[in-house]
Amino acid sequence: MVADPAQTKGKHVGATGVDIDSGDGVAAAAGGPVRQSNLWKDAWRRYIRNRAAVTAGVIFLLVLLFVVVWPIVSPYDPNAAPNYELKNEGPSLRHPFGTDNFGRDLMTRTAVGGRVSIGIGFAATLAILLVGVAYGAVSGFVGGKLDNAMMRLLDTLYGLPYLPFAIIVLAIFGTVNIWTMVIALSIASWFTSARIVRGQVITLKENDYVRAARAVGARWFRVLGRHLLPNTLGVLIIAIFLELPGVILGEAFLSFIGLGISPPNASWGQMAQEGRAVYRVAPHIIAVPSIAIATLILCANFIADGLRDALDPRTRET
Amino acid sequence: MSANGAAPLLAVRDLSKWFPVRSGLLVERTVDHVKAVDGVSFDVAEGETLGLVGESGSGKSTTGYCILQLLKPTSGSIKFEGTELTSLGREQMRRMRRELQIVFQDPYSSLDPRMTVGDIVGEPLIVHGIGSKRDRRARVRELLDVVGFNPSFTNRYPHEFSGGQRQRIGIARALALSPKLIVCDEPVSALDVSIQAQILNLLKDLQRDFGLTYLFIAHDLAVVRSMSDRIAVMNQGRIVEIGPAEDVYTNPQDPYTQALLAAVPVPDPRAMKERKARRRQLRHALAEG
Amino acid sequence: MALLEVSDLKTHFFTREGVVRAVDGISFSVERGRTLGIVGESGCGKSVTALSIMGLIPKPPAKIVGGSVLFEGRELTTLPEKELEDLRGREIAMIFQDPMTSLNPTLKIGTQITETIRRHYDVSTQDARKKAIELLEEVRIPRAVDRLDDYPHRFSGGMRQRVMIAIALSCDPKLLIADEPTTALDVTVQASVLDLLDDLRREHDMAMIIITHDMGVVAEAADDILVMYAGQVVEQAPVLELFDHPEHPYTEALLGALPQIEGEGIRQGRLTAIPGRPPDLINPPPACRFAPRCPYASANDACAEHMPELREIRSGHFVRSAHPASERAGARRPTGVGA
Repeated sequence: MVADPAQTKGKHVGATGVDIDSGDGVAAAAGGPVRQSNLWKDAWRRYIRNRAAVTAGVIFLLVLLFVVVWPIVSPYDPNAAPNYELKNEGPSLRHPFGTDNFGRDLMTRTAVGGRVSIGIGFAATLAILLVGVAYGAVSGFVGGKLDNAMMRLLDTLYGLPYLPFAIIVLAIFGTVNIWTMVIALSIASWFTSARIVRGQVITLKENDYVRAARAVGARWFRVLGRHLLPNTLGVLIIAIFLELPGVILGEAFLSFIGLGISPPNASWGQMAQEGRAVYRVAPHIIAVPSIAIATLILCANFIADGLRDALDPRTRET
Repeated sequence: MSANGAAPLLAVRDLSKWFPVRSGLLVERTVDHVKAVDGVSFDVAEGETLGLVGESGSGKSTTGYCILQLLKPTSGSIKFEGTELTSLGREQMRRMRRELQIVFQDPYSSLDPRMTVGDIVGEPLIVHGIGSKRDRRARVRELLDVVGFNPSFTNRYPHEFSGGQRQRIGIARALALSPKLIVCDEPVSALDVSIQAQILNLLKDLQRDFGLTYLFIAHDLAVVRSMSDRIAVMNQGRIVEIGPAEDVYTNPQDPYTQALLAAVPVPDPRAMKERKARRRQLRHALAEG
Repeated sequence: MALLEVSDLKTHFFTREGVVRAVDGISFSVERGRTLGIVGESGCGKSVTALSIMGLIPKPPAKIVGGSVLFEGRELTTLPEKELEDLRGREIAMIFQDPMTSLNPTLKIGTQITETIRRHYDVSTQDARKKAIELLEEVRIPRAVDRLDDYPHRFSGGMRQRVMIAIALSCDPKLLIADEPTTALDVTVQASVLDLLDDLRREHDMAMIIITHDMGVVAEAADDILVMYAGQVVEQAPVLELFDHPEHPYTEALLGALPQIEGEGIRQGRLTAIPGRPPDLINPPPACRFAPRCPYASANDACAEHMPELREIRSGHFVRSAHPASERAGARRPTGVGA
């Protein structure tokens, strides 16, 4: 059962790519890949199978397309001078969404407003993620007492009510423009992302490949940047679609109560606020932007669900 | 002590690693310690394989990590080629790492899933700034070749390969810096028997071809036996027996070692059934007595 | 009549990449009071076999596409789910490899045992508890009465496995299927768990199927052995006969690849490694599935074209190979049969 060492002497390992064990000269006994696949392709395929997620994704993309393209091709000026003859008209062929109480085409205004709302949404989400990733990665990576302290701080910050805080921030800034809005919305909503990233980093830290990097002498920034953060990508992508609804709704709410970006550059929230006064007469003015907000939020949630299932490590093949 | 009296490559004295157990509501206090490694001493001579064997929780893997300074020992001395590792600064230890490498147990978590095979094996070279890009590529191909992994697959990802192939990648990575000592932490435990044999043979060949010294950690007594010159048996953080492999296996002195050897399943049905009958007799005797 | 009779069982997995023929026509039987050991490496189909018997294979993507499983004369493959559920635990019980994940961490073990009992018997909670205590004592858990209300995390790996065995035995099944019962356990604990299973088997006159990759475990625990490779049975024999006279090249290679504890020249020697890897079960070759790795097969042999049949080479010893050991040139034919 144990081979005679004298017989195996003289055979050399691998210089010509021949593994001793195969004995028949096949280059490298280990052979070729067992399965040819791509992590992202697999995830994509899993995502495609989720009908709700695909539908949501398509709608989301259509909405994005709409807000980007329509204002360019539309014959109407969203900020046209008031034309009271056309005011409060319901949906018609000439104005598919109707007109608002200043006679402006609602469809074009919705598209333009969408640019503002979605733009702020993505910008604030990005800000949330940047802060969250930085905080969570440091806390999770360093661990120990610093991690404890940072998490305690986070726990106390969690208690901050997000919207009142946003209002306070806007008040401090004095003006409300896109940037102040982004800061206000993100300042009190990055806590969850920080938690998520920290959790991921702590889990990933336990992997042997992290130990291997350290064993080889990699310094902390390499371990963090090359090994830990790239592997949190999946979680981050999901986090984007989870934070987006909150931020969009937040902006809409602030605009609705009058703290939004000053007219005439409306956001959806603002448009809804304008429609509030006349909802009995012209319900479509408040309905259209509200439906738009709801659609976007619903889609983002379904997409997040679909992504989470698609990227679930448990269903991934090992 | 090393066989020929020359200074050992690795000398470990009274190594301890204690993990604090914390408790408390607002202020955490250390109430107790888990003594994962408790005063372990041994030498490894250049070119030999010391087998470190024990069951789960015995502290064998922790010992390996402490030697590589992946965990900071609580106390004790670790001398590599006469240099005290525990007193080295970060940069000095970093440079020392070129001589001490490790092969991990789990072929699935020991390779970064987002890096290609080529990147993984080449990382040690990048970290230490060795060679140009072209040099590194050539070296990576050479290393993969040596471990029996087809070098044309450097652009693939680890998940495309089987457990045995992944272990080969891990071994290639460990060889990249031409280390003197390699800690093999359960390198074949996660592999099927027929692949185990391939990898164990490979490790033996590499040792012969490159003059490597191994600290071979495993729980499988037969595997350790087939690889080691000397063996240390660990139980609950301590070495209970150490000596030449032949002696420890044929004439174990410590009761724990004896119990361990008596419990190892061997593919010999008559011997096994005899053991089983003896154990049954013992149980009945105890029940009645 | 055998307790369990499996004939030409085929379980295939219908995946996006193709049909994985995980179990491709295996047959065996288990008698009352006997232990069958199924050995093989990962991917050979041994676990899928056990799950197929119990009807526990994931229905998409897996499906039993052929063959029959007769338990006491009843056909299990066509049994409706409700009746299978009645059967599971009551007549056929199964224990799994990892005791950490097989027990519910949020339920006390007492609850998990009584839950099983009350599923199959109409008894009061009190009576069920009494039975649970008896079972814990039977599996040699000290201070059973106290431990009944403990959660799984308070038990060590070996103890958890005993709890699993207690649950499995709670309804006095006729057949126990143990899937890698000792793989996750320390070697000193393994022996005691195997002893326990053996004693229980005798006392309850139970039949047992032990599935493992460990030849040592099967040498100790089994009366008969089935060697599986790439979804098929390649060798089948009583335990002593198999180890004394292995016939199939794969069995020989498997035994040769095992590191030895005793013997000469172990440190310097090499293990007999089997080159290559098990075949892809999506498009298995029509020929002998071991042929590419077989040291005795050559390209012109019959086995390179046609699948060898499983034939009886000696009384009670079956082999699926064109090159069994006793038929090779210069081989000594073993006399008689191992008991």
